[in-house]
Amino acid sequence: MSVDLDVKDVTVRFGGIVAVNEASVYAKGGRITGLIGPNGAGKTTFFNACTGRNRPESGTVQLGEDRLDGHGTANRAHRGLGRTFQRMELFESLSVADNVRAGPSAHFSSFRLLGPLYATAKESKEVERRATDAMERCGISHLARKTVVDLSTGQRRLVELARAIATPFKFLLLDEPSSGLDASETHAFGKVLTDHVAESGVGILLVEHDMALVAEICERIYVLDFGKIIYEGTTNDAMSSDLVRSAYLGEAIVA
Amino acid sequence: MTEFLVFLPSGIAIGSVYALVALGLVLTYKTSGIFNFAHGGIAAVAAYLFYELSIRQGWPWSVAFVASLLVVGVLGGLIMERLAALLASAPTVMVVVATVGLLVLLQSLMTAIYGPANIFMKSYLPTNTLFTLGKFRVTVEDLAVTGFSLGAALGLYLFFERSRIGKSTTAVVDDPNLLSLQGTNPAAVRRLSWIIGSSFAAISGMFLAPKLGVSVNTLILLVIAAYGAAALGRFENLLLTVAGAMIIGVMVAYLPSQVTKISTNVLVQNLPGNTPFLLLFIVFLVAPTRLLTERGVANARRLRPIRTFSRPVTYGGFAVLGAVLLLVPAFVPDAEMTQYASTLGYFIVFASLGMLVWMSGQISLCQMTFAAVGAATAGHMLGHGVSWPLALLIAGAVAIPVGALVSITAIRFGGIYVAIATFGFAIAMQQVGYYTSILFGQQQRIDVPRPEILGVDFTSVVPFYYLCLAVAVLAGAVVLAVRASRLGGLLRAMSDSPTALAAHGANTTLIKVVVFCISAFLAALGGVVISGVPQNASGALTGPFSVTVSLVLVAVLGFAGRRPIASPLLAAILFQLIRIYPPFNTEGFLKYQGVIFGVLAIFVAVYPSLNIGGALAKLSSASRDRRDTSAGPVRARLDSAPVKLVAVRTTAAGEEPELVGSGKGAGR
Repeated sequence: MSVDLDVKDVTVRFGGIVAVNEASVYAKGGRITGLIGPNGAGKTTFFNACTGRNRPESGTVQLGEDRLDGHGTANRAHRGLGRTFQRMELFESLSVADNVRAGPSAHFSSFRLLGPLYATAKESKEVERRATDAMERCGISHLARKTVVDLSTGQRRLVELARAIATPFKFLLLDEPSSGLDASETHAFGKVLTDHVAESGVGILLVEHDMALVAEICERIYVLDFGKIIYEGTTNDAMSSDLVRSAYLGEAIVA
Repeated sequence: MTEFLVFLPSGIAIGSVYALVALGLVLTYKTSGIFNFAHGGIAAVAAYLFYELSIRQGWPWSVAFVASLLVVGVLGGLIMERLAALLASAPTVMVVVATVGLLVLLQSLMTAIYGPANIFMKSYLPTNTLFTLGKFRVTVEDLAVTGFSLGAALGLYLFFERSRIGKSTTAVVDDPNLLSLQGTNPAAVRRLSWIIGSSFAAISGMFLAPKLGVSVNTLILLVIAAYGAAALGRFENLLLTVAGAMIIGVMVAYLPSQVTKISTNVLVQNLPGNTPFLLLFIVFLVAPTRLLTERGVANARRLRPIRTFSRPVTYGGFAVLGAVLLLVPAFVPDAEMTQYASTLGYFIVFASLGMLVWMSGQISLCQMTFAAVGAATAGHMLGHGVSWPLALLIAGAVAIPVGALVSITAIRFGGIYVAIATFGFAIAMQQVGYYTSILFGQQQRIDVPRPEILGVDFTSVVPFYYLCLAVAVLAGAVVLAVRASRLGGLLRAMSDSPTALAAHGANTTLIKVVVFCISAFLAALGGVVISGVPQNASGALTGPFSVTVSLVLVAVLGFAGRRPIASPLLAAILFQLIRIYPPFNTEGFLKYQGVIFGVLAIFVAVYPSLNIGGALAKLSSASRDRRDTSAGPVRARLDSAPVKLVAVRTTAAGEEPELVGSGKGAGR
């Protein structure tokens, strides 16, 4: 079960400002694709356009054979497109375990008419299995009973990731998932992502500022600048591209 | 066409008063984010005060008018501004609890002092004809009211849509950060808005007094008619609000003469008077979601989750409670048992409301309307020979689509609009729906006899009490089951982040509608029990199913706590049972019961902002724990900020500013 995400010619306008300008991204299933660019380039706006949180002026979003554009946020998630948020959206008053469970539980609730009302025994078992597995992968099992509001930023990022990978999405959009993590945490984080992709066949489109992480786990990279895709190619080529350096990496990586 | 023109001036005069009321409502909502359900109460207070001063005390009307305006408009406006400031960070449900509490307070106070009857008052403005336009006469009174309203509308429009400070005031309502950066100017504008808003309400109350008589219930209902106008203006646009008010005024004046030609049916006759509600529902049905945004929610804090008791405590509590309830008839004289039976009925309604309010964050101001649907349905079923248990279930089932219809209209716009829609629905049902033959009929009365089930006679009061108890246990079990089910889990998650829930595929609108339906189902069961006590049900204004009772329920539940079973039980006891026992069985208490409930509801809603706990906690180590937990999200926000940041978190007055974190802009 590995599907590709094919986003074509998406344009998002806020009043007179073109935030995303005819951006196209093709991200393969079972791989991690990077989407990088300076702050304000339109990365999150692009994600929002994919998940239906804003109204693009034009463009199509296709997950495998399934056209997603025209559907609401929840419906796109129901069809298999998951995401995390740059400004984390956790269930603050719930425990870590309940947060992670809520992902698959919400997802399963969308498959039956009475799904929101109750869970079948089979679903409950599946939720439990997925949540336990995801927490273990992300190394947060020991925090299961803690309320997320009490956690550090890095731990909170892991909870959000665990919730996303516990949910049976076909494709994941991760918005700066490693910000707030230290170097060793980031490395472990990258490992979780590569393992998950390899085992489940889920594709990931990753917005990330940590270039070391991007270089380590992404196969291909798209570079977004002023709402336009200015570069696409393999990670190695991107790192050596002058265009990319001048637009985004600046002197940081050269030095 | 000529017939239409005849009604035009009176229509415009009525429309002008609506416009005045609606403008005050929209203005205060726009600038403070607080939708004031007590707006009609303010108009009523002004009318009574004006009556008191000009008639009872014999002051000249102009002096009485100005004095009432100063007291209710200016002083009342300042009080409202303080109340709104205290509610600024309260969750939507608590804002509704507070303003509905205020309405209950004012209504109860006016009734206690002046009685429920409509007080006649002579016109104080000259009613002589100034000039005639074709066939119709224009009086000084009409001209004064219309001229004042239109002038006020234009002035407000120029201020808020054209002036810089007016624009900035409306902008900051939705952004707490901007709010703090703006300095004191918006606060001054907000104070002014509340004074203007309350003054408009006061003036409209005094304008209407000679036309409608001085009656708190009439004025409240009439003022709510301004909701339709406000809806047309999207609770935001002042000019559209005025236009909406004019349309409603003309329709209300013109349509009655037309509908008599079509039909003499009471239902049809009453429709024109309900133009505002029709307009309200049409706006809710057709408006795109992005055009009706809930104001001020960005500022709202969440309610803290309630502490759950350990299992032994919970089960022990239920066992004791069960034993007490079973043994009640052994200790209570039969004459008082009816009060216990109806208390159980109200417990069911409170439980349905509590589930809706505390679990899903929605509020219903039409819970007794659902109960009425249940009572009437059961009455009809029993009349057709259906057995009682089946009639009970059908009554509940019929309420489900009703709940779905009401909630679907407004749910997509957010909590405050659900409250407004349910309020509108409750009034429209009271004025029109209750008269239909599927509810109480034109006689406004339907029998709901106590049953005999499987040879057991439940017609006398003690057996009937046990039957009520069985239904109450069933309702309580449903509430607990919902809490423990997936629905309960999804609701808890949704109260923290609807965004995240939707991002995982859950249909948040559907979830809200489902809770609403379950709540309506339970309320209908409560209605059957309540109507079984006197063995009949009616839609009378003084009866249990009137919209006023729905409001009081919200106020009482607001201060009875947020527990799923204990709080509704406490609320039902306070609302229904204590009045038969001293010291509450005195006439004085019964008279001022609504005032007490209103005050308590307001107090509970504003309590977190009074910071009484904070002042005490500062002395103990508890304050440090709280600081630590709040640092998490703040840090998270800082980390995602693009530039290097050092943030100083604002602390309680007198404390040193404290460094909470720094974004690591470098190294990315």
